[in-house]
Amino acid sequence: MPNARRPTRLTLVLADWCPHCVPLSDRAGRRLARLLRVPIRRLDIDDPRQERAADRIVRQFGDPDPDYLIPQVFLEWSDGSVDHLLTGFSEQVARTARAWNDLLASDWLRDVRRGLAR
Amino acid sequence: MTPPRALPRIVERSLRPVGGRCYRHCDQPLRFHALRLGGPGTGWVLACPSGVVSVTRYVEWGDRPPTARLWRELRRRTVPPTLVRRRDLRSATRHGPELGRPAERDLARRPGGAARVVYWRLYPFRRRGLEHRLFVCLRHGRREAVFFAAPTAGEVPRCPRCGSAVGPRRRSNP
Repeated sequence: MPNARRPTRLTLVLADWCPHCVPLSDRAGRRLARLLRVPIRRLDIDDPRQERAADRIVRQFGDPDPDYLIPQVFLEWSDGSVDHLLTGFSEQVARTARAWNDLLASDWLRDVRRGLAR
Repeated sequence: MTPPRALPRIVERSLRPVGGRCYRHCDQPLRFHALRLGGPGTGWVLACPSGVVSVTRYVEWGDRPPTARLWRELRRRTVPPTLVRRRDLRSATRHGPELGRPAERDLARRPGGAARVVYWRLYPFRRRGLEHRLFVCLRHGRREAVFFAAPTAGEVPRCPRCGSAVGPRRRSNP
């Protein structure tokens, strides 16, 4: 099979106090992970150990800034690659909710799921 | 490397700001004012009728976030420029699947680049016991909006460049 890479893990960088993160992205992330059949990893930026891992993945694959935006969502693949999927919309929580809805209804997700079914 | 350019129209439509209310100030509906911020992209400032800024946003198409350029542009428009701190500028990349199907399909046909958004949000701060917020004076036109900080209590704030009162005109007592 020429393209056999599969998603392996969904990572959510978040904080419990952030209304774009909890409960919105927490719930939507779990739903996305279920659809992709992968485990979810929550990295809480207020936990020092998790914060280091969060900073690393944001710096390498996401939207890094001295005080970066949360939530940020990443999909890890079996070939070691990582895709940045979404960063919260600073405008308002409702806009981040719309982005999650669009992501869950996207052609991209449909195509990845088709690949999983093969 | 792709030089920065304006957003595809369909992506710009998808990223157009939606309504909101002025958080922890007056709860009035926010208004969106288009701004020119020195690049090929689109700038917006979200402010309440009193001129209190909720967030300023700039977005363009490119390989990297235009944070450094926006920082310089905002400092030029802000009194004093030191109000614009690098740590208050935050970037976000918008790829396509999170922008709705029409934008996703359009972007799938455009290899390279992404929509690069930078937000500037200055949180309220206290100075000499008074809460200060960021205001915007829009009387200078879209190219030259002026940002400044002022107390939210007391007199109507005045733009440090043109002296105009910012926000809705208040009726004087008869």
